[in-house]
Amino acid sequence: MWDAFGFEFVNFYLIPGLVLGCIYALGAIGITLTFGILRFANFAHGEIMMSGAYLTWTIMAIAGYAGLTLHPLVAMVPATVLVILLFLGTDRYFYKPFRKEETIKVVMASFGMMLIIRSAVQVIWGPNQIAFVPGIAKPNAMLRDLTGDLGAMIIMPNKHIFIFLGTIIIVIALSYLLNKTRIGKAMRAVSDSPDLAHVTGINVDNVIRATWIVGGICAMAAGVFLVMDTQILETTMGFRMLLPMFAAAILGGIGKPYGAVAGGLIIGLAEELSAYPWIGDAPLLSPGYKTGVAFAIMVIMLIVRPQGLFKGRSF
Amino acid sequence: MRNLLLANTALAMIATSAMADVNVGNPMAMTGPIPDLVAPIAAAVDLAAKHINAQGGMFAGGEAYNIIRADSACDPTAAVDAVTKLINVSNVAAILGPVCSGATIAQAESVSIPAGVVTLSVSASSPAITDMEDGTDLVFRAAASDAYQGVALAELAIAKGMTELAISYANDDYNAALASAFSAAYTAAGGKITANEAHEPNKASYRSEVATLGATSDNLALFAYYGSGGITIMRNALETGAFTSFIGADGMLSSEVIEQLGAENLTNVTFTTSASDDSTAAFGAWKPLADAAEVPASDPFVANGYDATFMLALAIEKAGAADRGVIAAALRDIATAPGEVILPGEWEKAKAILAAGGEINYEGAAGNQDFDANGDVAGRFSKSVVVDGKWSAELID
Amino acid sequence: MEAYLGYFLYLLSLLTVGGIYAIFALGLNVQWGFAGLFNVGIVGFAAVGAYTYALLTTAESTYHVGGFGLPLPVGMLLGMLLSALVAAVIGLICIRLRSDYLAIATIGIAEIIKLILKNEADITNGPRGINKIPRAWEHFSEERFYSSWPLNWFASPESWQAFFDGLPNWWWQPCFAATILLCVYVIYRLLERARVSPWGRMMTAIRENEPAARAAGKNVTARRIEAFVIGAAIMGFAGALFAQHLRLIEPTNTFDATKVTFLVWVMLILGGSGNNRGAILGAFVIWTLWSTSELLIGGGINLIGYVFQSLDTTILTTRAGFLRMMLIGILMQVILQKFPGGILPEVRPASPQVKK
Repeated sequence: MWDAFGFEFVNFYLIPGLVLGCIYALGAIGITLTFGILRFANFAHGEIMMSGAYLTWTIMAIAGYAGLTLHPLVAMVPATVLVILLFLGTDRYFYKPFRKEETIKVVMASFGMMLIIRSAVQVIWGPNQIAFVPGIAKPNAMLRDLTGDLGAMIIMPNKHIFIFLGTIIIVIALSYLLNKTRIGKAMRAVSDSPDLAHVTGINVDNVIRATWIVGGICAMAAGVFLVMDTQILETTMGFRMLLPMFAAAILGGIGKPYGAVAGGLIIGLAEELSAYPWIGDAPLLSPGYKTGVAFAIMVIMLIVRPQGLFKGRSF
Repeated sequence: MRNLLLANTALAMIATSAMADVNVGNPMAMTGPIPDLVAPIAAAVDLAAKHINAQGGMFAGGEAYNIIRADSACDPTAAVDAVTKLINVSNVAAILGPVCSGATIAQAESVSIPAGVVTLSVSASSPAITDMEDGTDLVFRAAASDAYQGVALAELAIAKGMTELAISYANDDYNAALASAFSAAYTAAGGKITANEAHEPNKASYRSEVATLGATSDNLALFAYYGSGGITIMRNALETGAFTSFIGADGMLSSEVIEQLGAENLTNVTFTTSASDDSTAAFGAWKPLADAAEVPASDPFVANGYDATFMLALAIEKAGAADRGVIAAALRDIATAPGEVILPGEWEKAKAILAAGGEINYEGAAGNQDFDANGDVAGRFSKSVVVDGKWSAELID
Repeated sequence: MEAYLGYFLYLLSLLTVGGIYAIFALGLNVQWGFAGLFNVGIVGFAAVGAYTYALLTTAESTYHVGGFGLPLPVGMLLGMLLSALVAAVIGLICIRLRSDYLAIATIGIAEIIKLILKNEADITNGPRGINKIPRAWEHFSEERFYSSWPLNWFASPESWQAFFDGLPNWWWQPCFAATILLCVYVIYRLLERARVSPWGRMMTAIRENEPAARAAGKNVTARRIEAFVIGAAIMGFAGALFAQHLRLIEPTNTFDATKVTFLVWVMLILGGSGNNRGAILGAFVIWTLWSTSELLIGGGINLIGYVFQSLDTTILTTRAGFLRMMLIGILMQVILQKFPGGILPEVRPASPQVKK
């Protein structure tokens, strides 16, 4: 059956699915780390992504006035600092008071943060769409010609190449951090067993701070990659990404960053491939149900294997 | 708690006390799924009120024509709540419609019809509004029913030689209704629909949908709001080259589309909209007014917003009092022949004629605005294509 | 006089909607307050109840399946039952998930329910929704009701029509509000009884110390499913009332998670979870704040514009809706931190006479 797929399948279904998957994966890393280490589902994560993208755009616009043209990936750096401060600030004032209380409280607090951040962005920047980068992204000509000569023409705009490379770099850096550095090992330890980690003398406050920083960088990257792909800034885009990202985190196993990456890619692919005409000419699943794919995978996973693919924490 | 309520009552008093004038309630979907579409419509509503007040205001005493805005959020719950407050607390004379069809129907059936208040909708285009009133004559609209625009677009597609096309529509109340009206008219006219799929608004990517539909035809009929996924779906279609030509309705017609996608990419794109051709006298009068106020003249439902506000003021002026009971009949009078033709912005002239006991007939920027027995208007439509980096409209006969 | 009538009618509408939300909050209290089940899919049960009611009681229509024109109480009862049935299915599969996991599962399921309602347009009229939903009391003045039983037992349709034409147009509003408040009261009494019954004490035991309850031979899973199903049935009932109040329901915006699920959660947490009176109080307080905040913010912006004449407040006016959401978010943070147990904290059923 696989022989039947032409390169149309790769170009129009597989690559877009992977692009979406990369964005979900980066967002899900932050969610899974917070879920694993701080033990709550952070509903404000999508909004942090969104506000990061708005900050990046603002920095680009300011630089534009000064006559500088910044690539989003450059403008992202100062924006990341702001987003990390936002993360640490919300933790200090809104999440920390509930650390010893029932989970519901801090989940509600994060829900409230979601409303506050989103409406703040809407009040400051306005609810209208903003063009991040105008125009149509043409496929990378070099890649097209090169692969075209090999008989397997890959059509891929530069923005997708940036997204793939960026994701790979971040995941490699993350795995270095988690496996080789002291703080990374401590993070893993807290995620696996907080009590045991505490007993061994790990400074939990530092671990929490590190979690927000790592989560902030990943959320930032996810937000910027998202707007690089869609080229549109919109205030509700973070919330729309939130549930698929939760799905990815659960699919991979809570507290497992690699699981989140795998989960993100699977959810992204599943969403795009659900519209492929597997049988006959019509899409397998009406595109109206596309959003439901991620939820369905999530619910089935919760029922069949709540610990996720990578044996994360389960309740 | 009590302090808060007291403070609130005090503020509400301040808000309402300044208004011994004519108050019209204007629930608009300021938040909710389509704020970017609504913002220019709200600006057009304010512009009409500004023109009226600058040209002598209401009645002999020159009272102010106030627009009291509330947030209907495109949501039945919010719209019902907002209109309850407008009718009962702000005591408005009439309701100048919530934007979305669902919110319009909900507020009308739940609040304004039982209270006997006229609703003049700015943009609700659902066919269900035509027959919802149950014998009362209280719901009007300044936008044509989808049934009309669907037919106009189908005729346009046939005239352009598109014998087959694929349909993609956003699954919301406006676009789903329009798509079904279009597909019925198009098939009846002999066109072949190769695929007809809903898409979920506001997704980050539509590449797989576009590819699947693109495999069946080169022509795409797109029904979406530019602000909730419409631009993304066009961008994905253009990037992958899945479609060569596009047609669509007024939800997509905005300068945003050109700004974001680039005029050079939109050479084979045609969108219909309520008549917005410079050749009609009414639109010719509206365009400079809108340009002067930096309101986008031919964006979706912006002209309708101006018309609705202006007509409501004319009706109240004609009725002689901001009295809920008499507005409906007056609305029919001022909008239909016989009478001196009034164009957008001509408040002083209309006021003088009405004061002398004459008849007037408002011709709107978005069409002639003659209400039929159901309070609907028939639309005339124009088609817009990109010329020199701008949308350029031409009337369809 | 006219103005006072307006304020009175607005007050009635606050009571009506507040009452509907109070029923939602009571349903959630059974699930969360009694049994500790973290349900974030309230909107799904509300939608099931509302759609069932709407399809069964509307007059025949070309837009959707039916309507079947059944009497209103039948529609409400079946809406409640269907919602309970859906909950039973979900409960059997998901109830062993705990805490956040159940929350995320229920969000997902609620979204899937909404997608089905939206995409199966032949049955539900899709995103355009169902309108002309009959509202209790007001529906008697519709011809199809006054010309059939039970009203035609008492008088002829003509005299009914004359009777309804003679009433002021807001006559049904006090009746509708009173009916809803009565429903709130009845549900409250039933739940209070359940709370102090052996069943209620068992629920508390399971919530507080599950292994101990299990060791004492209690069937924990069965009790949990019971609480989930009862809560969902109450939510389905509230959903049917919601449909009556709005008279048009559509899947996307009517059943928006932030405006139903989230608001109900805030109401319960503010009022005091575990306390039925708290749930009711929270619902009325939050709904009143939510509804009046629009007037409040509008007045505030007018005041700013009045005091600082040179300031251009148009941008604030167009974005007032977002300011309102922001204030609600901040209010919630304050409540969470300042009133950890809610306004009326839980009173343990084992000692109902003890006052805190």
